[in-house]
Amino acid sequence: MSQNTVAQRGNQGSSTQTKEAQLKVYQKRLRDDIKTMTDNFLEIIRLMKIEEESHVSRPSKCEQDQFELEVRAANIVRAGESLMKLVSEVKQFVILNDFRSVNESIMAQMHMYRHVQTECDTKLFALRDDMAADLFEMEEEYYSSVYK
Amino acid sequence: MSGVQVSIEALNECQIQEVTLDGQEIYVQPLSMSDSLSKLAHKIDFHRDECETKGKPTSEGDKEEEEEPPAKNAVFQPSLWPWDNMRTKLKMALTETSVLLDVLKIVKEKHYMVLDSVSIDQPEAKPGFFAVAKKRALNSAVSILSNGAERLRKSQEQAAKRTTPNFHYELLKLRSKWRLKKVGTTILGDLSFKSAGSRFWQSGTFEVTKNDLMPSDFKEGAPAHTVRSPLQVHIPSELESVAYIQVSIRHTQEGCEDLASADLQLPNSLPGSIPSDTPWQRRLETAQNVIFCKEVFVQLAREAVQVKSPLPHLVIGNQVFSHLFPGMQLCIALCHSIDKSRQSSIRPGPKPDHNQVLEHSLHQLVRELHFKNSYHPMPHPVSALLGVSKKRRNAGPQAFSRTELLDMTHSESMLEQIIRQARHFVVRTRTLDILDKLSEEITDLQIASHWCNLSSALESMVKVNITFNGYETFKALFALHICVDKIRVVMKDGRVINLSYEPQELNDFILTQVAHHHICIVQALAKLMGWQLLTSNSHIGVGEMEPVGNVQSIMLASPLGNRVIAVRSGPFSGVHVHVQKTPDVDTIRELHESKHVSLAEKWEMLGGPFHKVHLDKLEGRNFVNKMELLMACLSSERTDTF
Repeated sequence: MSQNTVAQRGNQGSSTQTKEAQLKVYQKRLRDDIKTMTDNFLEIIRLMKIEEESHVSRPSKCEQDQFELEVRAANIVRAGESLMKLVSEVKQFVILNDFRSVNESIMAQMHMYRHVQTECDTKLFALRDDMAADLFEMEEEYYSSVYK
Repeated sequence: MSGVQVSIEALNECQIQEVTLDGQEIYVQPLSMSDSLSKLAHKIDFHRDECETKGKPTSEGDKEEEEEPPAKNAVFQPSLWPWDNMRTKLKMALTETSVLLDVLKIVKEKHYMVLDSVSIDQPEAKPGFFAVAKKRALNSAVSILSNGAERLRKSQEQAAKRTTPNFHYELLKLRSKWRLKKVGTTILGDLSFKSAGSRFWQSGTFEVTKNDLMPSDFKEGAPAHTVRSPLQVHIPSELESVAYIQVSIRHTQEGCEDLASADLQLPNSLPGSIPSDTPWQRRLETAQNVIFCKEVFVQLAREAVQVKSPLPHLVIGNQVFSHLFPGMQLCIALCHSIDKSRQSSIRPGPKPDHNQVLEHSLHQLVRELHFKNSYHPMPHPVSALLGVSKKRRNAGPQAFSRTELLDMTHSESMLEQIIRQARHFVVRTRTLDILDKLSEEITDLQIASHWCNLSSALESMVKVNITFNGYETFKALFALHICVDKIRVVMKDGRVINLSYEPQELNDFILTQVAHHHICIVQALAKLMGWQLLTSNSHIGVGEMEPVGNVQSIMLASPLGNRVIAVRSGPFSGVHVHVQKTPDVDTIRELHESKHVSLAEKWEMLGGPFHKVHLDKLEGRNFVNKMELLMACLSSERTDTF
């Protein structure tokens, strides 16, 4: 028994650790994505500044800037979609690991089924009593009649 | 402190251009790459005519460049040389030619470098050009951002417009009813009853996936059941389709006649396969029912092998046969619609009627097993083993005997319990048949049976009244307690008779009771009519022998004593009534005619022979009514009627 208890505790501990690690991963992803958005936005703003001195010619510089802007914009979009995915995953995580609400729903269902059971029992008892009374009369009539 | 000063000088890194007379070295400052390139490029004077130079832009230019300078260096004399000016110009021409050659090669072969104009003195910057270029670049970035934002917004709007619930809502509903966990990127669920105490080996793992819905799947006004659910469950193939347990009680001789049967199946499910577009809740419930049925059958089959009985239980394929009574057996079969051939072999005839009682009993037995596995009686000491009952814990301190301990260890298996219930069912059905058959056959009196509404799966009770129509005051009353394999009869006076499960015994008993009731009611009627009881014998030894039971008789005398009625009642021979008249008219007349015998008056009261009464020719509704009329008629007859 004690071994089982220890094993259960170990399992609980490991599962708690896994959940903590998962939550940290989610936090890290959230920070990374937001940081990516902020950094890329700042870089875009910085790129808007017209630099006077450059070793590269103007058209090349313009092309390079345009390309960089597009890449950074795409990075922001990707980070946004990654955030949406993160939201979806966090929802799943909450749904699957929210044991309090699961227990509440189980308790609610249990109460509901117990209520239904009580109701059914009451109705069945009443039905049984009625049927027993009626059955007695009907048996009396049936066995007294000539049509059997 | 006045030591010798040592001058330390760094090694020359740069080329010495000139050493002045005072010993100072003038270094050539190293050029950066762009400076050197610019310098070299500036050396090119494309406007000057250098036709007199020898340099040719040929492919051997590099070699010439490498070969010629040493030759010229060899003749180089820094002193005043008459051709110094010419030499310088030639050298410059050679250099320019070489550069030209390199430039041409670079232009021609664009492998390594691309030309780009470099100028130290850049022209004046044009902020407008930069601004336009930056604006254009920013526009492209904005379009990418707005496209992405639009996509996200559309997806959100689409999710909000949907009438059907989204994936997470469905998942929440699923989670509130089923066990789910996330393994890696997949969501797995559990269908088995292990959390409810089951120890069945089969794992009911199913997978939950998101059903990718196309926008075309959502039609306005479409019924709810036609829209596919955003959540999809994948059930293992062995749990697909519908399964049920069929319990039937059969005559072994006839083989096909079913007395009772029970089907374990969902009330609303149809036999056969479940279509793939069924809602997930119903699919999961069906699959769980398959696990349940398999567990029931595996448990029964295991117990059938383990439990010893006089006639061993048989496990053939997916059927378990158990012996109930001679000529009757219980057949429990697992029907799973995947295996069509087996199913057809199980049910050769028409589908037997469902018996909800046995179905419920099977449910209850398995649930009780689960409950015992998961719940232990509380409270229990910390040092005690789990799952041990309080009675067993107290066995040591209270010094139980070996018999008590053995009784305690005996536990009834599920198969034994269902066999007991089936036996009780058979005995009850037989009792019901016997009572109905006799009440139909014996029309002269009423055999009314009243079934008690308080009964269990192993015991029930019926009260039987035997009355005559119109004479309900006189009734024969007894109660039948129907047990597992016997019937206990409790008579009105408290006597208890135990009958076996054989229906013939009950039949004989009731017939005996009917015969006895005939005698009893005649006796009671005699008391009412003022007749006198002469004899009453419940076991007469004369006359024809009955196959079963005894013949009873009663003799009654009329109030005047001139009529005697003899009633003989047997279980199989029926009721016979005889009447004796006193005096016997024929005998007295013969005696008077003979004139040889002196006839005292007292001898006229001698009884004559008994005459049989044809009851079927008498007036009256039933036997008691006829007897009453007969008694009334005989009572009014006087002796001097002849």
